[in-house]
Amino acid sequence: MAEMSIAEALRQAIREEMARDDRVFCIGEDIGIPGGFGGAFTVTLGLSDEFGRDRVLDTPISEIAIAGVAIGAAIAGMRPIADVQYGDFLFCMMDQIANQAAKMRYMSGGQVSVPMVMRAPVGQTRRGAQHAQSLEAFFTHIPGLKVVAPSTAYDAKGLLKSAVRDENPVLVFEHKLLYGSKGPRSERGALSPVGEVPDEEYLVPIGEGVIRREGKDVTIVGKLLTMYRALQAAEILAEEGIEAEVIDPRTLVPLDKELILASVRKTGRLVIAEEDNLTGGWAAEIAAIVADEGFVWLDAPIKRVSAPDVPAPFSPALDDAYMPNEHKIVAAVKSLL
Amino acid sequence: MATDIIVPPLSQTMDSVVLVEWLKAEGDKVAKGEPLFVIETDKANLDIEAPAGGVLRQVWAQPGEAIAVRATIGLIADVGGELPEFERPSARSAAASVAEAAVAALHPLAAATGPMGQPLPPERQARIFASPRARRLAEAEGVPLAELTASGPEGMIVERDVIAYIASKPAPMAITPVARRLAQAAGLEPAALQPARPGARITRADVDVVLARREEVSADGVQWVEVAPIRRTIARRMVASQQAAAEVTLTRDVDATELVELRGQILEELSDGDPRPTYTDILVSIVARQLARHPRANATWDGERIGLYADINVAVAVDTERGLVTPVVRNADTKGLLALTAERAALVRQALDGTIGLDDLTGGTFTITNLGPIGIDAFTPIINPPQTAILGVGRIRPAAAVHNGELCIRQRMFLSLTFDHRIIDGAPAARFLMDIVRLIEKPHLVWL
Repeated sequence: MAEMSIAEALRQAIREEMARDDRVFCIGEDIGIPGGFGGAFTVTLGLSDEFGRDRVLDTPISEIAIAGVAIGAAIAGMRPIADVQYGDFLFCMMDQIANQAAKMRYMSGGQVSVPMVMRAPVGQTRRGAQHAQSLEAFFTHIPGLKVVAPSTAYDAKGLLKSAVRDENPVLVFEHKLLYGSKGPRSERGALSPVGEVPDEEYLVPIGEGVIRREGKDVTIVGKLLTMYRALQAAEILAEEGIEAEVIDPRTLVPLDKELILASVRKTGRLVIAEEDNLTGGWAAEIAAIVADEGFVWLDAPIKRVSAPDVPAPFSPALDDAYMPNEHKIVAAVKSLL
Repeated sequence: MATDIIVPPLSQTMDSVVLVEWLKAEGDKVAKGEPLFVIETDKANLDIEAPAGGVLRQVWAQPGEAIAVRATIGLIADVGGELPEFERPSARSAAASVAEAAVAALHPLAAATGPMGQPLPPERQARIFASPRARRLAEAEGVPLAELTASGPEGMIVERDVIAYIASKPAPMAITPVARRLAQAAGLEPAALQPARPGARITRADVDVVLARREEVSADGVQWVEVAPIRRTIARRMVASQQAAAEVTLTRDVDATELVELRGQILEELSDGDPRPTYTDILVSIVARQLARHPRANATWDGERIGLYADINVAVAVDTERGLVTPVVRNADTKGLLALTAERAALVRQALDGTIGLDDLTGGTFTITNLGPIGIDAFTPIINPPQTAILGVGRIRPAAAVHNGELCIRQRMFLSLTFDHRIIDGAPAARFLMDIVRLIEKPHLVWL
């Protein structure tokens, strides 16, 4: 058992999978250059020394090339782990992901599969509107993709290893403020949670959420950074005698909706916190599921705590207005009581 | 676009009905013509069909409520259509308005503000806003939402309000809303009610049981019993009959030996599955044929004129748990015995289980009532208005009789014909009865 940051846990997952299976390789921008940072957030640091630059491939600055090589290699039998430097650049790859990777297995009647992993950092870090988005909802909307969003070191390692072994394309969304990246790659205001990660082999199954904190008065669903904001909100609420239950879905597709419904059945109230813009967001889908399948258990309206429908601000002065934080979650919960 | 759900006028004498249940919940899709709600009239329980297709948007009447005929009790909106304006206070029954006023008084919060602190429109003040969770619990516990104090967001009743209400009651009683209203209407104390099984909710049936056996003896030594609407209808019609008509009863002792033999022969010839004619069926058939020859016995009186019915529709008195009902065999004179038997048997079955429709209870032009099976010989039946006559049938029993000049044992029965002397005189009425007697004593003459 070792204490690790999420970046370290991801690195260990990649290392173990590359050692286990020769078909596994990494591809991305600046992920393997000697003396480099190990990608933008240090996840692949040192791996090119261990496995050679044939298995930790650096590419030109071309997301289309990364997606094309990864998808093609996966079709041909390899197990690529593609590094998307910033999740925002997924838009460059959109045709290859949405039209090709996601649909290939379905359209070939199962003759062709695309066992590719694509790791994409998301979240606002004051690097501007093109380096700050939370893109999960775009990809949960595309049938054929699996989407995971680990928020702890344990889950990051276990889910990434499951993703590598999955026969389907899996998008792994990682939050920039949760990596725990060190040195020049550290982020201002990062939460950098550290967690215990077993030394022995383990997997976290795709499709299972967890209850991070138990409570009886309100259910708060949060993922990635907002899961931590939800836990902070629960602490504040607990001081006032309000017991919030915090759920971390961990996997967005397929969603562990029974876990959420069971919690709402207990608490009767639901707040969904996420960093994406409000309209058409992932929170809206959770709200719709509960309104549809858990209506009779609701004792109050469903509330979403999301970013407003504006691009992420560069200005620190606007950060509070933009970011869903624990205080906004607390206010949302209180409006339901 | 929205369509009003209106309680249909079912007869000219019916002012109000009791809503038994909604077959759809608010928000459910309904198809035009689909059964939408059930009402209890003084004659039967009836399914009322949806007047339009769409979504059951809102209902204003609750099960157990008495509702006025022609009152609007809900709205059906187009699927996906815009929300209709709910402005129906004038069309609604006075009772509903009173209930609303009471609700508004109980819910100052709900009446005060809506989302964003805006005043609620008047039609929404009338509604009780409760969370789905609170509604679910209230229904399960038999708690009337109107009695709750709202403490939730935007003046909404939430689960804790229901829990608080239950906790505030010394002996919380699990009772359905309908049963609760019935018990309250009858002035029953909650302690007087027992569920059918320990731990079960008290239902309407449990209340009925108590009402049936309630012994409320007043100071004058009289036991007063609550009655269903049908009892009052029977009372009203019987008194109206006695007061309005000039009733005379003719009685005749009839030799039914041939009738008994005829029925035996008919039964012998039947195949498995054929309807088995009763004496009542054979009598309906005989009487219907004689009514064709005696139109004044198949008539009515409007105070000035005699109305001769074009059809011969024979009503048959049936003793049910709810009281006396008279399902109608239409055009009985034109039907073969087996067809008539099958039809009457089906009507009686529906009358007994309470599923008979109003159409089958109205439109009779003559009535037959048979007390023979209970052991009665002769009686003075009361005319079923607005008809002219009713035939009472006594039991068939072996009796000493003179037949072909010899004393022997014959099957005998009494017939009692009550008629309205305003419409038909004694002699023609007697001839009508004797024509019936002749066909009973010599059934083969039916072909003449």
